Amino acid sequence: MSEEAKQSSSILIWLTALAFLIGMAAIFIYVPTEQMEGAVQRIMYFHIPAAWLAFFSFFIVFICSILFLWKKEREWDIYALASAEIGVIFCSLVLITGPIWARPIWGAWWVWDARLTSTLILWLIYVSYLMLRYQTEAGSMRARFAAVLGIIGFLDIPFIHFSVLWWRTFHPPPKMISPEGLGAGMDTSMVATLMLSLGAFTLLYFVLMGQRIKVETMKDEVEQLKKDHLYSN
Amino acid sequence: MHTGAPVIAMNRYLNQVRAIVWKDFITELKTRELFSSMFIFALLVIIIFIFSINLSIVKASEIGPGVMWVAFLFAGTIGLNRSFMLEKENGCLQGLLIAPVDRTALYFGKLISNFSFLLIMEFLILPIFMIFFNIDLIPHLLPLIYVIFAGTLGFCTIGTLLSSLSANLKSRDIMLPILLYPLIIPIIIGSVRMTSQVIAGEPLSSMTNWLSLVLCFDVIYIAVSIMIIDFVLEE
Amino acid sequence: MDNLEYLFAANVFVWGGIFYYLFRIKKYQQSLQNDLNLIKEAIKKGSQSE
Repeated sequence: MSEEAKQSSSILIWLTALAFLIGMAAIFIYVPTEQMEGAVQRIMYFHIPAAWLAFFSFFIVFICSILFLWKKEREWDIYALASAEIGVIFCSLVLITGPIWARPIWGAWWVWDARLTSTLILWLIYVSYLMLRYQTEAGSMRARFAAVLGIIGFLDIPFIHFSVLWWRTFHPPPKMISPEGLGAGMDTSMVATLMLSLGAFTLLYFVLMGQRIKVETMKDEVEQLKKDHLYSN
Repeated sequence: MHTGAPVIAMNRYLNQVRAIVWKDFITELKTRELFSSMFIFALLVIIIFIFSINLSIVKASEIGPGVMWVAFLFAGTIGLNRSFMLEKENGCLQGLLIAPVDRTALYFGKLISNFSFLLIMEFLILPIFMIFFNIDLIPHLLPLIYVIFAGTLGFCTIGTLLSSLSANLKSRDIMLPILLYPLIIPIIIGSVRMTSQVIAGEPLSSMTNWLSLVLCFDVIYIAVSIMIIDFVLEE
Repeated sequence: MDNLEYLFAANVFVWGGIFYYLFRIKKYQQSLQNDLNLIKEAIKKGSQSE
């Protein structure tokens, strides 16, 4: 890695750390406790940014998959892989923090609510995407297949959204579910905290991307060196 | 002269598709392997469901559509897995790829043969389903055919694409359902909902949202498959 | 309403998850760096002996 790239990546890491420090201070000290839900409401400041990041990562997978099929350049394949992995991690965090919040508020760990269900299906799609990648040996075939799956998986999201939404409306909604009141019933201090947290998480995405991409490029370098020098003679 | 060339090209394309479908049908008529395994498997799924649910507590018309579609789905997966594996085994796929055939024609040929095998199987399962679950389907047969048609097409569009992909993998038997099932959840939800509404005697016009969702799914995935099948069937 | 334990559990998962992932990436990077160094060394030795 060049000196300049190294410097900018370390600046990014420090910036992310700083953003998280301010964000944590805002979440745990600055923002007032919600009257109805109590302390557990503060989970939302992690939950919503994680959900945003998961969706953002999957969108990047989609874009990179298209670019890969178009340009056939290895770097797009690497970006798609890194983004999918990070997306699955954050999607898992959404699926873990959601029930932890729901247990004291709704009285149940899991409710087949529309949004929960579609997040779960999304998680399954991208886990299968990663499984496809891990189970196939490196090469042009793996990259092509993964790109195909990255495209059709993302195009499925609107269908999943509507089908799950209509599926739920056939049942009476459980009592505790109310529209989460995003923004509507929120204090300005809460909105500000949420924005801070969103910013910090988005920075974290780029840090993780940078590190994950570095792993893949190093792997490529090792393979290349082996091929050039060790196997030939 | 002006209209001649496209028509000839079109005819050639349709001939290619027809040849692939014809090949699949002839193979199937000779071996009967695919069809019999799909049919028996679907039957077994239905029977196992009957043993695992207590029909004296649950209303058959409520649980029936779900069981029916699960049986179709599982049997369809077996069919998809077999169909590309047969091509792979004897190097037939290699031959098809070398042949001067458009890749999309290959896709359409496979889609049509998968779709028709599955449809035939489904219509043979329906009477058995009717008897076992004690549901009278005859008065609702026409809307039911629409629903089964639309749902099965959605399953086959994406299933054909993914089975042509997973045929190249080492763990193809397990990878196909893992890749396929999360993607077709909208189709499954829609088909099951529509089937239970049809059985309840509602007209198709009362479920336009589901119908348009499933039809949109069919159209979009056929279009996407045409665009990306070249990348899947590359050698 | 006091439900701090839930908030605590959620934080454990979030931070545990993120740091575990980062830790794994860093370890992977280290082992790859090791491989790289070994290979480069081997190449150097090979070229010297020739």
